[in-house]
Amino acid sequence: MRPVGASPPLVVIFLLSATALAYEVLLVRLFSIIHWHHFAFMIISLALLGYGVSGSLITLFRQLCLRRYGELMFINVLLFGISAIGVFLIVQRMPFNALEILWDSSQWLRLFLTYLLLSLPFLFVANSIAMTMLRFDASIGRIYGADLIGAGAGAIAIMLLLSLFEPQTILRLLSLAGLAAGLLLLRMSGRRSLSAALLGAAAVLVILLPSSWLELRLSEYKGLEQTLLVDGVGILDSHSSPVSRIDVVESRQIPFRHAPGLSLQSPSGVPEQLGVFVDGDAMSAIDRGGVGTGPGYRAYVSSALPYELGRRLDEVLVLNSGTGADILQAAAYGSDSIDAVEADARLTKLISDIFADYAGWPAIAGRVSFHAATARAWAASSTRHYDLIVRGVPGASSGGAAGVFAFAAGFDLTVDAIEDYLAILKPGGYLAITLWTDTPPKGNLRLFASVVEALKASGVGEPGRRLAWIRSWNTATLLVKQGDLTDDEIGRIRDFARTRGFDLAWLPGIEEAEANRYQILPRAYFHEAAQALLGDRATDYIADYEYDIEPVRDSDPYFNDHFRWKSLPQFLALPGRAGIAMIDAGYPTLIASLLQAVAAALVLILLPLLFLKRKASLASGSRLHVILYFTAIGLAFLFIELSFIELLTLIIGQPLYAVAITLCLFLLFSGLGSLTVQWLQEKGFATAVILRSSVFGILVITLAYILLRGWMTEHLMSLPLFARILAASLFTAPLAFAMGMPFPLGLTATSRSAPALVPWAWGINGCASVLSAILAVLLSMEIGFHGVMLCAVALYLLAWRTLPGTRAT
Amino acid sequence: MKSFLFLFSVLMMPPIFASAAETPDDELAEERRDMIAAIENDVRDTARLINRESFSERVMDAMASVPRHEFVPERVRAKAYENRPLPIGRGQTISQPYIVALMTDLLEPRPGDRVLEIGTGSGYQAAILSRLVSDVYSIEIISELGEQATARLQRLGYDNVSTRIADGYDGWPEAAPFDGILVTAAISHIPPPLVRQLKPGGRMIIPVGTRFQTQYLTIVEKEPDGSVTTRQVIPVIFVPFTGGHQ
Repeated sequence: MRPVGASPPLVVIFLLSATALAYEVLLVRLFSIIHWHHFAFMIISLALLGYGVSGSLITLFRQLCLRRYGELMFINVLLFGISAIGVFLIVQRMPFNALEILWDSSQWLRLFLTYLLLSLPFLFVANSIAMTMLRFDASIGRIYGADLIGAGAGAIAIMLLLSLFEPQTILRLLSLAGLAAGLLLLRMSGRRSLSAALLGAAAVLVILLPSSWLELRLSEYKGLEQTLLVDGVGILDSHSSPVSRIDVVESRQIPFRHAPGLSLQSPSGVPEQLGVFVDGDAMSAIDRGGVGTGPGYRAYVSSALPYELGRRLDEVLVLNSGTGADILQAAAYGSDSIDAVEADARLTKLISDIFADYAGWPAIAGRVSFHAATARAWAASSTRHYDLIVRGVPGASSGGAAGVFAFAAGFDLTVDAIEDYLAILKPGGYLAITLWTDTPPKGNLRLFASVVEALKASGVGEPGRRLAWIRSWNTATLLVKQGDLTDDEIGRIRDFARTRGFDLAWLPGIEEAEANRYQILPRAYFHEAAQALLGDRATDYIADYEYDIEPVRDSDPYFNDHFRWKSLPQFLALPGRAGIAMIDAGYPTLIASLLQAVAAALVLILLPLLFLKRKASLASGSRLHVILYFTAIGLAFLFIELSFIELLTLIIGQPLYAVAITLCLFLLFSGLGSLTVQWLQEKGFATAVILRSSVFGILVITLAYILLRGWMTEHLMSLPLFARILAASLFTAPLAFAMGMPFPLGLTATSRSAPALVPWAWGINGCASVLSAILAVLLSMEIGFHGVMLCAVALYLLAWRTLPGTRAT
Repeated sequence: MKSFLFLFSVLMMPPIFASAAETPDDELAEERRDMIAAIENDVRDTARLINRESFSERVMDAMASVPRHEFVPERVRAKAYENRPLPIGRGQTISQPYIVALMTDLLEPRPGDRVLEIGTGSGYQAAILSRLVSDVYSIEIISELGEQATARLQRLGYDNVSTRIADGYDGWPEAAPFDGILVTAAISHIPPPLVRQLKPGGRMIIPVGTRFQTQYLTIVEKEPDGSVTTRQVIPVIFVPFTGGHQ
């Protein structure tokens, strides 16, 4: 069995790459549901090392791959189709518990097996592509182009699929797509009978696989699984989208009672509720009957503060409205016109449509307008001004350790965001933000510091005169007024806090005794922080605090990342390793991922050298150039791609569109860049000249983007969605086009100077890409996205100076 | 292809579980002493954070006398006396002995007290309390766990423990008021009915954190005049991999 003639099976490569990328995104979704997002990130990052393994394997078996290309190609494609679904079935049955990993050493073995298993499908795809490049080395540009364009198509396809089907169904479809690639390969080959029978049998197995085998087995420590153990609990509605799985749960015997931070003095109880779980956790609730006859228990949570200040708040903006708790609070207090902004349209649909009657929606529907957008996009584009802007507490996570969202970028609570919110407040209006508290506090202190900075940036001389900050047992509400608080308001705030047993953390004229009276902390952390951050000691206080509470900006939007290297020795020095529990889980997970990836990458890159050493023809200079060049472009590509995805998310305003569009554009235009390399080379352009031009293009566009981003954000965010997408595309397309060139150029140059190194170069690039995905996040936390982009530019310049074959030839 | 086959055979190996071998009593006594030593060690290490140099003798005696291995599943029994939390199935855990001891000590139990526990789990905490107070009332929301714990406590002779499968939010009004209440469930707010069922001068303890890591404890105190305050202590302690035998 041999592929037809001398041309590579580009359609097969296209389909395989599309399926593999879709599969990668799907796995992140599946493991975010089963475990938690940060573990999903780590598991999938490491599984992608399958690309690196492929490079090593093919380097070792290069002759065999050339000789038996047809058979091996078919076997790899077939195995991809089977393993895509097979490894997931096995991994799901392995009793891995992410929460216990630091206690139980056997969990590490299970984690390692998870990596190994999940890397297999990627290994088979990578083998197929690398073998094809090896076999058709004169068409590397075309093959890589098909690979990238396929991946771009996969990015769009998976977003569509995730919008239409359950993740388990998509798993089956992707497995079949892999097998379809095998069928295409067969059509291009000679003998078919046995291979076709194998494919057919595999396809039948995949189709007939019982659905129960594919049902997601969520970690038993997730909130949803815990809730389902209670008698009389059932799922009323379940829906999956590209961003989340949302389950609505009814508890018939034992009611839900979700009321974050409810005062112990509340005379009213919590009404009957439905529980809403996002990705099996992060619980929020839908109240039965909606508004009822008055605010009820909603007057006894800390977020009620702005409504109790004696002013009528007619026009209210609710940010991240979720399942509607803040909308109901505003409506219960009589607000006439409520704009509710929520990016996840499904949550909106739950209260306004699917469970509208349960939620008492018809009674307030006339007063509420929903907008499917992010808080930032709405604030930037709104022409309305509000009496009150509210951002309530996010859903409650049951099992996730503190800091698991450390590396989830978010633009809602940056200094720039707060400036945007303040800009659409009416004179005398309020901005009220409520967060969960933790001890010692982290996020709340960063929020306060950010608000102070935003007010100072707006020219407010004494920010403290505009701020009130109260805290309950487990929530804290920061109130910012567009103007100084009056004596009447200050008196009402005191009354509100006293009658509910909430402590004051800041209020103009606050006394020490008011700061730690009802909810007593080991220290009056909040008040101490407020005093320091409003005074002359702010810089020192932030620098000395054990967690990073420095305000974050749009270029470094990791609000939940509080890790500080300098505190690490202090934490670790605590007796009994007590301090490990004080370190946020997110950052160490990233570090753990990086260390594992570096160790694996070193093995995968260095192992083939033992074999290659025997080949006298390969000068060490060739190897060094290959390592430097392919590591540099592997790191740089994702540095820029991931930074763009995050920053364009802010401009486009719809995270889902932003990821799909940016990913697709990057891959598609990189693919076109790669195809152009092939064309230019056939026209006789020198490799070095094309490389120089592409690196120059990357440098110019990246620097221009960094310089113009602030201006672009300010001016583009208020444009219609279509215009924002178009503007983002205009920047992305030429950059991606240039970024698609260095890889095929390097591979072509390697193929000419040291053909034995081609698969090795592919493997190095694969390893570097895995490292890059983790490093990009780590670096952006430290030096911001612009810093990461500048690193990428430097890496491309390094690549330009180390093009393989330049010294050897 | 041999390398692939080898890889697959490695991948197909079953996961490794802890040995469930039966352990003689004298050996358990030694393990129990080690556990007590580990707890005392942790108390010294965290004295500044928890604001106490040691736990009361009564609490430590109770910790030493309750057979923890009876409250964990067979598969983790070998680790029963390690100073670490253990999974007991159905997404539940038995807390780290140091945390159990700390919560009990913070409750300041007296022999004639009546204590309510929300979240029976395996029944271990209820068993510890039963050695320290006159009556323990324990509520579990998951029926399967509640039934197992009830049977276990009865079998082991903890006769002063009453159990109920119900919603802990409403407490146990017929048995109220309580001198102390322990809440081990994740909650979005402190249930007002529980506060009402607390005697003036009584206290309620609520741990906050993940199932394998208690990050801080909230103590709810009801003053003699009926006013209520909450107070936080940070007991963070963490002993990865090595267990308590150090």
